[in-house]
Amino acid sequence: MTDTSIARRGGGSASAPSGRPRRSHRPQKASGLNPKLIPYVLLIPGLAVIAALLLYPMIQVFVISFQKVGIPQIRDVNPKPADWVGWENYTKVFENDIFWSSLRNTVSFAVIAVTLTLAVGTAVGVLLNQLSKRMSTLVIVGIMSAWAVPPVAQGVIWRWLFDAEAGIINWALNLLPDFLSNALFGRADWTGEPWTNEAFTIYLILILMVLWSSFPFVAVSVLAGLKGIPTELYEAARVDGSSPWRTFWQITFPLLKPVFAVLTILSIIWDFKVFSQLYTLMNGPTVREAFNLSVFSFSEAFKAPPKMGSGAAIAVILTIILLIVTAFYVRQMLKSEELR
Amino acid sequence: MKIVKIAGVTAALALGVAACGGGETAEPAPAASAAESAPAAAGPKFAGQTLTMWRLGDSNPPAQAYMDDLNAEFQKVTGATVKLEWIPWPQVNDKFTAAAAGGAGPDVTEIGNDQVPLWVSQEALSPITPLTSAGDQAQIPKNLFGLETIDGEVYAVPWGAGTRAVLYRKDWFDELKIEVPKTWDEVTAAAKKIQDEKGKDVDGFAFNGGSDANHLLGAMAWSEGGDYAVKEGDKWVGKLTDPTFKAGFETYTSLVTGGLSGKSRLTQNTVDIRTRFANDKVGMYLTASWDIPGIETDSKGKVKADQLAFFPLPAKTGGEAPAFFGGNDIAVWGTTKNAELAGEYIKLATSKQWADRYAKDGGLLPVYPDTLASLASDPVQAPFAAAFAKARSFPADPNWTEAGETKAVLQNAARSVIEGKASADEALATANKELEDILNQ
Repeated sequence: MTDTSIARRGGGSASAPSGRPRRSHRPQKASGLNPKLIPYVLLIPGLAVIAALLLYPMIQVFVISFQKVGIPQIRDVNPKPADWVGWENYTKVFENDIFWSSLRNTVSFAVIAVTLTLAVGTAVGVLLNQLSKRMSTLVIVGIMSAWAVPPVAQGVIWRWLFDAEAGIINWALNLLPDFLSNALFGRADWTGEPWTNEAFTIYLILILMVLWSSFPFVAVSVLAGLKGIPTELYEAARVDGSSPWRTFWQITFPLLKPVFAVLTILSIIWDFKVFSQLYTLMNGPTVREAFNLSVFSFSEAFKAPPKMGSGAAIAVILTIILLIVTAFYVRQMLKSEELR
Repeated sequence: MKIVKIAGVTAALALGVAACGGGETAEPAPAASAAESAPAAAGPKFAGQTLTMWRLGDSNPPAQAYMDDLNAEFQKVTGATVKLEWIPWPQVNDKFTAAAAGGAGPDVTEIGNDQVPLWVSQEALSPITPLTSAGDQAQIPKNLFGLETIDGEVYAVPWGAGTRAVLYRKDWFDELKIEVPKTWDEVTAAAKKIQDEKGKDVDGFAFNGGSDANHLLGAMAWSEGGDYAVKEGDKWVGKLTDPTFKAGFETYTSLVTGGLSGKSRLTQNTVDIRTRFANDKVGMYLTASWDIPGIETDSKGKVKADQLAFFPLPAKTGGEAPAFFGGNDIAVWGTTKNAELAGEYIKLATSKQWADRYAKDGGLLPVYPDTLASLASDPVQAPFAAAFAKARSFPADPNWTEAGETKAVLQNAARSVIEGKASADEALATANKELEDILNQ
């Protein structure tokens, strides 16, 4: 309670950048707080929440990744102290073939899915901007309902679509005229075709699923950005006889760069750590060559017998990869901002 | 690399030593006092108390009736009420993990005999050694305690033994005039005939590639004289690359490559197969007799018990294949606050009267030898009793569950062979190394 009252009273003076001469000294006297400190005081509640919910677990994961932790170490009743094993969890993970196939799956999936999501999302966003108000509302509501489907439900829906016997995909492929099916896929009979036996087809479905569920967010964000671009620019382009393609790259894209930057980073983070969809699609962790790092980490840490140490090590590796990718991208972004 | 391995083994040893030390110091009193106070327990000594009991599998009418009677009897003897919960088999390891980590476990639990070493290594069970040397329980043959005895302490009491046999659609066999197969060739011929008549999407003999796949693969490998691994000194040596194991493995993969079972269901476990069986999509599969009530329920009464029957799995080399020596045990959960009462429950449940009825109602083989001997003449139980005589088990190691279920080492090897990504030799060589790494960690 005291915190908020200080914050509220201090808030008025904090709006003026600190260091400049002040017109009134009253708020400073009343709170007795150095105005330089006020922004930091304001940050405390937020930081406390972040520290409790994110920082502490992150540090714990890091610590556990150097320990041998199983049920005897984490149970409620007289838990045992964990053994410190140094880098053993990491060396074991690196020696494991599943780690390397998971890494390959994670990275290639992220590259393909992020690219496709951004491309399709942007295209739909631009389209939405061209539509009439009523039509664009209709489309937005339509695509947002795909976005709103919970990840586990997505996994189940797509698994059913691609079910070998009762799935609509095999049924539809069988409806194709034989010559067309033969020309496209080199086969005419799709009865009982298994889609979730091997990594390649699993990821084919996963890419479709993630694209389907995440392009609406990109589309709507792009649309919001487009609404902020002054129409004069487009009118000028049209007068100069610019093609739509050129207009997009010369006007829309540069002006929406900050939007794209944020969307790219978010998509990278989301697609790197995709878990629920893949897990439900595979129907549990059996097809090991289709693991990505999240599923691999989960199955190490929580499937019997739990090896939380190596699970944590994989999670740390995934985090570090993500940090490097994001840091690199943010740097690129800041650099180009400076140039502009 | 070597150092890492040594460190791993040392850590495992240290944990093992710590485990038995912890077991002795943490809960010595309850088990001992349970044995001492046994005579005094007659009477409502525990009146008003509640005991939580986990039964594994699906609740079906005979099993539910058995539990109701057993719990009523227990309440009469001790005055305590029993809270019963059913845990489906495929969820057992996840439930146990959560319970052991979170502390919300039962007091008494049923447990698969091959799961006992794993959960003892995780310190999830309490030792109950004194219980097994007194009363009725002393009559249970000591060789049935192989998986349950760890470092001289007994952690679970055999409740019923289960072996596997082939469950088949008797009505289909009669309709198609198929004789009950005596050889593996007759099995494949019968499976083909079923598929010809009942549709291409029917599995003549269902391939199991899920968590309990080793019950099927094991039977085939053992029948050729192969085995998973043997312990030499204090180290496990994998035997998957032996020609004998490979022969069994090839019979196993040939279920799919030979077209007896659909290629789209490589990860199905017994529960998945049972569901398909109940829906007229499977002709034969290897299972235990507890599946029958579930099939009646799943098929909404369309497939009835009298349409089903069992025969022992024939070995490709002739004769009957050795079956997996399965069985259900009952154990005291490690974090129970009521170990004395839990011990009383186990004493009652595994007494001759109740254990025999448990086996009879659940379609299992009794653990008491004289009751077992009387079964050889029972037409329903005879295939199981025959298989029981040749029963084999998986490597008795706490890490077996990781290799056999969690990492699904051989299921993955089989899938890579079936998908044509590796030859049987390559897949088994990889699997052998992984199996050794897991068992020796």
